[in-house]
Amino acid sequence: MVWLTGGSLGLCLVMIFGLLALVAHHGGRTFWPRPIRLVEDLQGNVLLGEVTESDSFAPDEGLLASLPEEHATALRAEIAAGDGEVGRRLLRTENFELTGVHYHWIDDPFVAEERTPEWALVVERRDKGRFYGFPTGFLVEGRRLAETPPAIWEKLREHEGAVLERFDRALQLEEIDLGRANRAMNDARLELREVELDEGIDSAAWRAQKVEHDRRVEGVQAEFERITGEIGRLRAVNANYQLELETVEGQQTLVGVADVVRAVPVNQLGLHDKLSVYLDRWWEFLTEDPRHANSEGGVWPAIFGTVVMTLLMTVVVVPFGVLAALYLREYAKQGALVSLVRIAVNNLAGVPSIVFGVFGFGFFCQILGVGIDELLFSATLPNPTYGKGGLMWASLTLALLTLPVVIVATEEALSAVPNSMREGSYACGATKWQTIRRIVLPRAQPGIMTGMILAVARGAGEVAPLMLVGAAKWAPSLAVDLAQFPYVFPERSFMHLGFHIYDVGFQSQNSEAARPLVYTTTLLLIGIVVVLNLVAVWIRARMRRRLHGAR
Amino acid sequence: MERDHALTPKRSSDARGVALASAMTERTESRTPLIATLERAETGRTRPGGLFECIAEGRVFEPVIHDEVATDEAVVEVDGFDLWYGDTQALHDISLSVPKGKVTALIGPSGCGKSTLLRSVNRMNDLIDSVRIDGQIRLSGDSIYGRGVDVIELRKRIGMVFQKPNPFPMSIYENVVYSLRIDGVRDRFTLDEACESSLRGAGLWDEVKDRLQNSALALSGGQQQRLCIARAIAAEPEVLLLDEPCSALDPIATGKIEDLIDDLEGLYSVLIVTHNMQQASRVSDNTAFMYLGRLVEYGPTESLFLSPRLKETEDYVTGRFG
Repeated sequence: MVWLTGGSLGLCLVMIFGLLALVAHHGGRTFWPRPIRLVEDLQGNVLLGEVTESDSFAPDEGLLASLPEEHATALRAEIAAGDGEVGRRLLRTENFELTGVHYHWIDDPFVAEERTPEWALVVERRDKGRFYGFPTGFLVEGRRLAETPPAIWEKLREHEGAVLERFDRALQLEEIDLGRANRAMNDARLELREVELDEGIDSAAWRAQKVEHDRRVEGVQAEFERITGEIGRLRAVNANYQLELETVEGQQTLVGVADVVRAVPVNQLGLHDKLSVYLDRWWEFLTEDPRHANSEGGVWPAIFGTVVMTLLMTVVVVPFGVLAALYLREYAKQGALVSLVRIAVNNLAGVPSIVFGVFGFGFFCQILGVGIDELLFSATLPNPTYGKGGLMWASLTLALLTLPVVIVATEEALSAVPNSMREGSYACGATKWQTIRRIVLPRAQPGIMTGMILAVARGAGEVAPLMLVGAAKWAPSLAVDLAQFPYVFPERSFMHLGFHIYDVGFQSQNSEAARPLVYTTTLLLIGIVVVLNLVAVWIRARMRRRLHGAR
Repeated sequence: MERDHALTPKRSSDARGVALASAMTERTESRTPLIATLERAETGRTRPGGLFECIAEGRVFEPVIHDEVATDEAVVEVDGFDLWYGDTQALHDISLSVPKGKVTALIGPSGCGKSTLLRSVNRMNDLIDSVRIDGQIRLSGDSIYGRGVDVIELRKRIGMVFQKPNPFPMSIYENVVYSLRIDGVRDRFTLDEACESSLRGAGLWDEVKDRLQNSALALSGGQQQRLCIARAIAAEPEVLLLDEPCSALDPIATGKIEDLIDDLEGLYSVLIVTHNMQQASRVSDNTAFMYLGRLVEYGPTESLFLSPRLKETEDYVTGRFG
């Protein structure tokens, strides 16, 4: 028996740690700069890129026949001597806009020559993905200032700081100042629309408001033009700085220095430099918005969305679950009805999560949200404010989903409070509520925390219902915006790591290129769930210590 | 405190206990005085098959109540009290009065209803749905089971200590002042004072005065039980109910609790349920013997143990029965 039980545990551990190890292995190495290889095959084709995968296969006759005679003979001998297989590698070559593919398989027997050129660059571009190639020139206002790679590198280092500064400035103008002007214009329009809804079009009040509206729009328009002009000027200056790159096939292309997120001459780097590139990429991943259809850049909005949604869900589900469990355990007369309710609650935990999503969409978005819109945001209609998926609705839906977990765990915790404690409290002349509040709840708190931990783990990892109630593949404006009144926007749709994984891995056009990011995002999601749980476990341990005193 | 409490008590107030204990020992050795006692106890009524069979068959009989206990001023008066758990009657027509300022012990074999009777005094049986009662209990003259009695207010007048120590999951300080806290007392000075005097009263002050803010659950079993006593006396109750307070404790802790009950005598009226005959003889002034939900004999501890009127009481207190 001990072998059976121990073996089962072992199998479970192997599967769990196997999965974790797989995710950690793939996710952890995504950002590690690997050497850029130049591979020339027997037909004279050249490829430049990173090796991302390697395996082996058994070559068939057709393949052997396509080889030059002396190679084929040598290969046959090799296959006969070995285990009948030859190796092949997957090369990430990118330059998607020129080649139309992200990856190339290269079979080892076809490799004629292979080397790692000193000045092979991997350039991460802001909106076209990666570029593997060689620098051939640095242009300022169309004049070639440098021709040789070291000189080009020198010029790039010299100018990129100023270019980046201008880029950031333009971005800031676009996001904050332009946003503010847009909102001012929108507000003016909404106020006019409100008067129109209240007083009717062409009424005296409406006409007065219309004059006010026109005056304000005019002011904003001027501001608008000033800002767009400034942005245009900054962008125009930046456009003067260009990097000329050449693919391994000899095609040339120009990349604006402002479009270069990071250019790395990997083959020259030592361990220390590689490490710094690695950490820099991680930092970008954690703090930046996604780029290039989510396949590049960071996942900060998704991290934010996941964490905020989970916290909001916890804040909603714990009080409700605890109160419900309190009624079931402490107030309700135990009988057939309570048992029935208990069974129903337990069954609720088994309902597929997508059903909760459908319910959330139907009830929260379509009924509650539309109702709120009609009451409070009638001016913006037909554009929905609350009548669509959003962070708040998603949190409430997940709160419903995790409610059974909290109720069951809390009930367990409550029933574990010894009756002698309750009796002791009653004997002191305490009322029922005083007993619950001062004795039962504090005593049950660690158990309630356990329920909360389970709910967080369940909620943070849930994706299916979110698709219906507000998770979006692209939602860079966060639900908390300190630059904009009223600072919190629970109605906004949000990004979620789980949905991001699904989207990047299976929905994006170049999902192949983004595949490594799937692992990394998964690693991050697991990490976040672990961190949230650790925080809860830490709080629980603190509570326990306070409960039992220092021993 | 390395002493066997039953054999070598050291306090002067233990004189009674010594006398009783030694008397009981003697009696088991020599039968003669016992027969004399029994003859005196016979009141002339004939009970075919003995009193216990009579009770088991449910026939009515008059409990024997010594005259001495009827004269004292009563703090709790039980008057014709019946109690049912569902269809099972657990208490049959109990009438007894607990004298003020004295220690009254309830003894009897397991299941005789002594704990049920104790818990009826502060209406803890209300917590059990199936309980039904008839008859009356009065606390200092006020009806306990009357219409419109506020159970919460009633319980505040009564302190209770349970079989197993049940300190609350909070600090020692908060445990002691719990009943004041739920009364809404906020004044730090009042609370501090109540805490200290209760802990002193329970003989725990010197042991815990430096760690009042530590969790009560970290105390030893005996300390926890004394803490529960401190908690029970913090609200200065009119009567203190002790439900086998020593049954979960080791002999040394038991000794301390017994000392404490002796110290409480005079300050508080105490009603104590115990399984331990020697404990009853050591700590109580009066003793009531119960059997199968009926009061059998009630009188001053000394006469109940040394010269019981009923043979059945005799058998029980000498350990030949039960």
